[in-house]
Amino acid sequence: MESDPIIVCRCEEVTLQELHETAKSYQCSSRELKLRTRAGMGYCGGRTCRNLIDMIVNEVTGKSPGHSIPLGYQPPVRPVTFGLLGGHK
Amino acid sequence: MTDVLIVGAGPAGLSAGIACAQHGLQVKIVDEFPRPGGRLLGQLHEEPDGTWWNGMEEAKRLLEQAEKLGVDIDCGVSVYDAAKTKEGWSVSSSHGNFEVPKLLLATGAAEMALPLPGWTLPGVMSIGGAQVMTNVHRVRVGERGIVVGVNILSVAIARELQLSGIHVDRMVLPAQNPVTRDAGNPEKVFQSMLRVAHLAPSTFMKLGSKLLKSKTMQKLALQFLPGIGGIRMWGIPIQLKAAALEIIGDKQVEGVKIVKINAKGAPIPGTEKVIPADFVCIAGGLYPLVELAAVAGCPFAYLPELGGHVPLHNERMQTPVEGLYVAGNITGIEGAKVAAAQGTVAGLSIADEFGKLPEKNLLSTAIETVEVVRQNATIQFHPCIAQGRATVKNMSAQHKSDA
Repeated sequence: MESDPIIVCRCEEVTLQELHETAKSYQCSSRELKLRTRAGMGYCGGRTCRNLIDMIVNEVTGKSPGHSIPLGYQPPVRPVTFGLLGGHK
Repeated sequence: MTDVLIVGAGPAGLSAGIACAQHGLQVKIVDEFPRPGGRLLGQLHEEPDGTWWNGMEEAKRLLEQAEKLGVDIDCGVSVYDAAKTKEGWSVSSSHGNFEVPKLLLATGAAEMALPLPGWTLPGVMSIGGAQVMTNVHRVRVGERGIVVGVNILSVAIARELQLSGIHVDRMVLPAQNPVTRDAGNPEKVFQSMLRVAHLAPSTFMKLGSKLLKSKTMQKLALQFLPGIGGIRMWGIPIQLKAAALEIIGDKQVEGVKIVKINAKGAPIPGTEKVIPADFVCIAGGLYPLVELAAVAGCPFAYLPELGGHVPLHNERMQTPVEGLYVAGNITGIEGAKVAAAQGTVAGLSIADEFGKLPEKNLLSTAIETVEVVRQNATIQFHPCIAQGRATVKNMSAQHKSDA
């Protein structure tokens, strides 16, 4: 019963299998998993997959997220144009 | 000169704006959506007493009140940063910067995904997306849909789609995988659904909620639950013993491959079949949308009973960061009535900070009202909400004494 891969990070097209295997081989944190796979680094800023990344890490390493947020937020927290950020004269 | 900027024009943000303006503050509310009202805009359901909760009407009422008080509301504005300054906050948005003494984040919640093969096909949407398209934009999401994920929110929205004349063929669980987990476990889903059984028009569910208090009885009942066919609410089959394996389609959704599952969620080989559909709604529940609280430097608490990470805050809806307030679903997943009550607290609390609240009892009454509204809520999103709220309060007090 081979079906299509399960995409977890839609923006960067990272699959569940890739995330699971990476988390397993490196026994890593959400942040390391993000940096290794680019999951959560796309256009939406991880709004769709950040919880899923935390779940995978929890499943593989047994570590549940602590009180501080595992994957940090950086401004801009919405997609914006360079112009808006001060690029226009 | 704006005294307070509120991000989010939902029940919490509007109620807070009203409370501030009633005490002489200059209020500006911004919202990303083209219309004010937030999640209220999509809500339509029958209460157990037979009356209807019409969110659209509720939003209209709050909006009229806010506008009458001179609250400035700007929609279609996305806030992308909030930085602390000497005098207060510098808030960056798609429509310019705002310098304000006080900032209230009432940004609400976002939806959790349930990834399945094929979930990126056109025609797959979140259940909340389907709700907004149907009830706000009046766009028909499709002819025949399947809802993947059975929870309080998805059952309520499936009913709304049905009321709009859209055919919801069935509701099934997602196949279990590391990112669907409890959502794919019939026992867990059944338990959570029993908590809202009093809302159901079906005798099975009503009877169930009375009979099935014990774990043993729940297990027994689940064994006898028919898998394909399932129980029905408002005529919509809710199949707790069927799971979506895959969403099928070439260029868009054509159907969903489902399989019978046992009470633990394990698929029964040989029972797969493809159900035709032209749209699929994914329903993974909600989590607090805290991005701005994070960039503003607010400390957090991780409490699954509140939906995940929530900004630390006290009963007055103050965070440990000076001049930063929170209200509504950003503080934990609950209904619109609780959000509105929290908004009022936040508004009064801000007025008090400005020295514009001579009647101190208004604030303590508003804080008590949040409790009362919570206890009377028809929909409890999580059985341990009260516990989670108590933990946040204690952590916030602890944080203050440590600082």
